[in-house]
Amino acid sequence: MTTTIKTRHPQFAGLSRRTLLALLGAAPATAALSAAFPGAFRAEAATGALNVYSWPDYFSTDNLAAYAKKTGVTPNISTYDSNETLFAKLNSPAGAGFDIVIPSSSWIQQLAAKGLLQELDHSRLNLASLDQDLLNRDYDPGNKYSIPKDWGLLGVVYDPEIVGTIETWEDFFKAFEKSEVSGKIRMSDSGWETIGPQLWIEGKDWNTATSDEIRAAGEKVKALAKHVKSFSGLDPNSVANGSIVLAQTNQGTARAIIGLNPKLKWVVPGPFSELWVDNYAIPKSAPNLDQAYDFLAYQLQPEVQLSETQYIGFPAALAGLEAKLPADTKNADLIFGGKGLDFKKLTSFVVDPATIGTYLQVQTEIQAAAG
Amino acid sequence: MTTLTRPRFATGAADHIVAAVPALWLVAFFLAPLGFTVVFSFGRNLFGGVELAFTFDNYRTALTGFNGTTLLRTIIFAASASALCLAAAYPVAYFLARHTQRRRALAVVLILVPYFSSFLIRIMALHMLMSRGGFAESVLNALYLHSGPLDVLDTQLAVFIGMVYAYLPIAIVPLFVVLDRIPKPLLEASRDLGASRFKTFVFVTLPLSRPGIATAVLLTAVPMLGEMVIPKLLGGSKGVLMGQAISSQFLQSQNYPLGAAMAVLVLLVIGVIVVLLARLTKGFAEVGQ
Repeated sequence: MTTTIKTRHPQFAGLSRRTLLALLGAAPATAALSAAFPGAFRAEAATGALNVYSWPDYFSTDNLAAYAKKTGVTPNISTYDSNETLFAKLNSPAGAGFDIVIPSSSWIQQLAAKGLLQELDHSRLNLASLDQDLLNRDYDPGNKYSIPKDWGLLGVVYDPEIVGTIETWEDFFKAFEKSEVSGKIRMSDSGWETIGPQLWIEGKDWNTATSDEIRAAGEKVKALAKHVKSFSGLDPNSVANGSIVLAQTNQGTARAIIGLNPKLKWVVPGPFSELWVDNYAIPKSAPNLDQAYDFLAYQLQPEVQLSETQYIGFPAALAGLEAKLPADTKNADLIFGGKGLDFKKLTSFVVDPATIGTYLQVQTEIQAAAG
Repeated sequence: MTTLTRPRFATGAADHIVAAVPALWLVAFFLAPLGFTVVFSFGRNLFGGVELAFTFDNYRTALTGFNGTTLLRTIIFAASASALCLAAAYPVAYFLARHTQRRRALAVVLILVPYFSSFLIRIMALHMLMSRGGFAESVLNALYLHSGPLDVLDTQLAVFIGMVYAYLPIAIVPLFVVLDRIPKPLLEASRDLGASRFKTFVFVTLPLSRPGIATAVLLTAVPMLGEMVIPKLLGGSKGVLMGQAISSQFLQSQNYPLGAAMAVLVLLVIGVIVVLLARLTKGFAEVGQ
């Protein structure tokens, strides 16, 4: 049994059903090698089918069934468990034939630069209904290639009785030294989510920092690594029962944790933090373009956006979604990142081949230093 | 590992055809990808691609600094986890071979059944047992071996427990087979000639079980060299090992040449292990039953 462990897509930052599905997926390491085989794969002609390539379990099964009933087209969904796998697949002959893919904000630029995505026809999509805070962001100006599907944040969940109050990333790192906190900390396993906060403290932008700056900031995090208990996916129970008292995570997992133990707190620390967005995009060689736009139009309908939000636990991009949720939804504000969230203080990471290697190398070293 | 003398059959063309099918399979799906890996490992990195070249830079990077330390740490880790596994498996196999008669088949089945269930599910089960407020905590507290909450998850100890647990069955089986086939008369002769039980074990049983030891080490140490799931689920992804390092080069850094060089190095280490184990069983002709 081989499984691949990789940059955790933020949505998988809990040992959820989805993580297990992702882990149970076959190792895509072979994708790298199969890319080297000049395959005799011909893009299939438009057949009235719809081929979606997505994260595991990322569409409400009820909505898919309803769509199939309505249109007679049953979406064929294949899955990947990391943006890197999506990239490798689209970049190989095996990637032809997909009509819709769901890349994260961090990878849109790389995919577009390689000519793997096509420009979207906005006249066929109802963008006006979406939350304007999520449109026209740095990772895809003018939403040339992508439409937001759902989004999440990097924040911190903590036990205020033990840790104190956390408002900034500086507070977060300072808390590491406390004897009752040391050894009970969870950090992300993604290089930019661990080193990024240190860069923000230093007033730098994680998308323009040089390799040297990234390494210097990473060394400061590495010096604190001995206090970290885990870099693996966050099991909500481990925070609820006090094994972990301070953890980087996303708002979805934080809501699950606070649901188990209401005295815990969630914060999106300043001066900056991460906004990640998973997006609909259409590959360059999509054979069933009409079906793809038809499916996107269906997905962007308000009632579908609402049930998708309830199904995956992360907010879809529809404007005013919070007001549409059932009144008895517990901690509804946490789904949207908590009260008083300022989108101007959120930044999305963009993978840059010149620096991504440094982020990942330093992250590997940070994890090794913690062992 | 052992040499067997078999009656020779005349081989006809039909046999060659039958043998060609798996051979082709192996070439297409095993040797060819391996060939690509070796070729890539001498190439230059293009983010998500390889520029074919002939450079030793990747090997230099893979053997020095942090990567070199990781390789060394992985070898030490696999060797010690494999030794622990062997230490736990040997007594069990010995007991099975010497002290079970009618229930032997049942015992072997019971040992093997967990091994046939999903690897991931077994590790997750262990995760639940070892977590705070879990079963292990209550048992240890009830026996007064430990008091208060148990924080064994996300430690090296948890990783070792997981490793030994996951690979124990495949270490027991080869040892059991070998120990079972040691002829009783040899042991009786040893006792008749005045050797104590202990001496009989050291001078008769142990040397005769060498092929089983070699096989058990091979079957456990090799997968341990590439193990990724257990450090992640039980060890909190700390103290990076080779498996994670290689997958991270291939999948995240998109640096195929360096990942390939690291993979080739691990293969070389495995080659060395096989050669050493072959030496351990050198000159070993199976004792006739």
